[in-house]
Amino acid sequence: MKKVVFMMLTIIVMVALVACGDRDEESVDDQEASDETEGATNDEGEAITAWAWDPNFNIRALELADQAYDGEVDLELEIIENAQDDIVQRLNTSLSSGTTQGMPNIVLIEDYRAQSFLQAYPDAFYPLTDYIDVDAFADYKIETTSLDGEQYGLPFDTGVAGLYIRTDYLEEAGYSVDDVQDITWAEYIQIGVDIKEATGNNMLTQDPSDLGLIRMMIQSAGSWYFEEDGSTPNLANNPALEASVQAYRELMEANIVSMVSDWSQFVGAFNDGDVASVPTGNWITPSITAEETQSGNWAVVPFPKLEVDGATNVTNLGGSSWYVLNSDGKEAAATFLANTFGSNEMFYQDLINEIGAIGTYLPGMQGEAFEEGHEFFDGQSIVADFSEWTEAIPAVNYGMHTYAIDDILAVELQNYLNDKELTDVLEDAQSQAETQLR
Amino acid sequence: MKKFKRMLVYTFLSIATIISIYPFFWMVVSSTNASVDVTRGRQLPGTHLIENLTNLFDQVNIVTALTNSAIIAVLSTFLTLLIASLAGYGFEMYRSRGKDIAFNVLLLSMMIPFAAIMVPLYRLFGRISHTAPLIGLDTLAAAFLPTITTAFFIFFFRQNTKMFPKDLIEAGRIDGLTELGIFFRIYMPTMKTTYAAAAIIAFMNSWNNFLWPLVVLQSPDKQTIPLLISNLGSSYSPDYGMIMSAITIATLPTALVFFFMQKHFVAGMMGSVKG
Repeated sequence: MKKVVFMMLTIIVMVALVACGDRDEESVDDQEASDETEGATNDEGEAITAWAWDPNFNIRALELADQAYDGEVDLELEIIENAQDDIVQRLNTSLSSGTTQGMPNIVLIEDYRAQSFLQAYPDAFYPLTDYIDVDAFADYKIETTSLDGEQYGLPFDTGVAGLYIRTDYLEEAGYSVDDVQDITWAEYIQIGVDIKEATGNNMLTQDPSDLGLIRMMIQSAGSWYFEEDGSTPNLANNPALEASVQAYRELMEANIVSMVSDWSQFVGAFNDGDVASVPTGNWITPSITAEETQSGNWAVVPFPKLEVDGATNVTNLGGSSWYVLNSDGKEAAATFLANTFGSNEMFYQDLINEIGAIGTYLPGMQGEAFEEGHEFFDGQSIVADFSEWTEAIPAVNYGMHTYAIDDILAVELQNYLNDKELTDVLEDAQSQAETQLR
Repeated sequence: MKKFKRMLVYTFLSIATIISIYPFFWMVVSSTNASVDVTRGRQLPGTHLIENLTNLFDQVNIVTALTNSAIIAVLSTFLTLLIASLAGYGFEMYRSRGKDIAFNVLLLSMMIPFAAIMVPLYRLFGRISHTAPLIGLDTLAAAFLPTITTAFFIFFFRQNTKMFPKDLIEAGRIDGLTELGIFFRIYMPTMKTTYAAAAIIAFMNSWNNFLWPLVVLQSPDKQTIPLLISNLGSSYSPDYGMIMSAITIATLPTALVFFFMQKHFVAGMMGSVKG
């Protein structure tokens, strides 16, 4: 009996291994086939692959680009969906081990992380300087996607930020939309207090571990966590950061903030009508409009301003760009990007119409699709407003370690809320950053 | 007094049960709700189960992912048990001079975090991809090969082997069995419970393994279940109802394996503590 069981197990393993082997052999054949097509342009077209995240946004944008492509070289684009963190993990492992096998030709990288890849793996990316007109893109995007004068990224969506605000709550508190145009943070807090008094609702949500708000604030004043070189921490003696941290504390002390701990609570809070405003990037629009019962009750106004030198009412949160890996098929991939995201104005109209994605290619940012009013926002043409703000976003160098500084600051920020001196808070953060990032 | 004590114990146990079962309850309930309801924290079963499942099957290839996960988990469990039990048996049963030193070195390897060896390991698989494409990058074999010999399982089997009566081996030798014969025909059937306990742990480890499969399995048709679920959450406006139904499906196999082997599992774990 036991002999039989053992025999059966052995057979199962043998069969499974052979089955696996077959599958692998097939894929090897595929690989060889695609190797053959690479380099030599034949009738079927050169195969290129692209990695991106979010099926409704980036993946969809790639599909539209694939349809819009009308270059001379025939291309077969394979789009593979990967979560952003997964892409980062895979790229880091693969590039640090010096193997590009299995890597895609085109990859989407968030702007905050771009410099860390470009600087850590100098030869891994293929320069696009000769393929696109760098001056045609929004300045702030070029700053983050280039290194040493070479343009590596093809700037894609803007993370231009605005203040999404509930007009019905404003009215209840005795304000109109005009009263919230181009305001300062002090005015914002006052309005928040009045709205809370009138409606009982908080003004905004905050996740204590996510410093997006602080990042938006300092960029609106043309400053960042780092000096212009992108590597020297600029935390102590940074007036913009000081003002941002103070504004953050005033928000908390005014008691107009709902605390959340993750993305779903953040979305849930405004879908439920618990908060009167959402200061964030334009990519939140689909989540706001998902709650159809609130249609007509929202407006988008410029981001509140800090009261420091160089402060503006425009800023950015997130946004990403396309990169070409320096491996076989790079010319084809670069040609594809240049032909679509890099020069096709009509394609940018499609992006707006189909997925509401606002690009950063300036010649493409006009036309009917941009002017159209949005019913949910009571007829406001939010796309036109966002595009106008995009051009004015202050350019800063995000450097290599944005998220590392975030972690340090998140802790120090809590200390500040617990009455630690502001100068100590920022100086401690500065020295931690200097030790950690040396 | 006795009654009171009992009540106290039962209250404590009930609270502990609720705490440990609640996440599962929440997962199953959420898989029947629409995304908006999940973000609102709805605790009651909803009517969107079919819709969530349809969306899931429409949008992603969950069958392929389940198959891949199953192939990897079954093969890796089988190989882990075979190799680790051979090693554990050998360490315990045979006498050799450097045995304990070798075993201690092996235990030390448990201290090295996987993240530290990941890049060299990836490089290694990248190198052999050209000469041995069957186990190179982006194959299912590459996803489980590094995990089939772990110090933990060798240690686990060695500890359990301490209870194995040595007389049986002597008897086997007298009856003319070869050493391998003794292992397969006497040791293996006697140690059924240990194997069952190890099987559950190995299966679960392999089923839930994320980091290594993430970096070696690149093409979508090689995706395992954890990779697929990670992708589902990648969107700027995730469909939480659909994600929850995918997670519910993903937990079923491990739950089933556990229920089938529960009795042996408890016995096997007890053995390792006693030994």
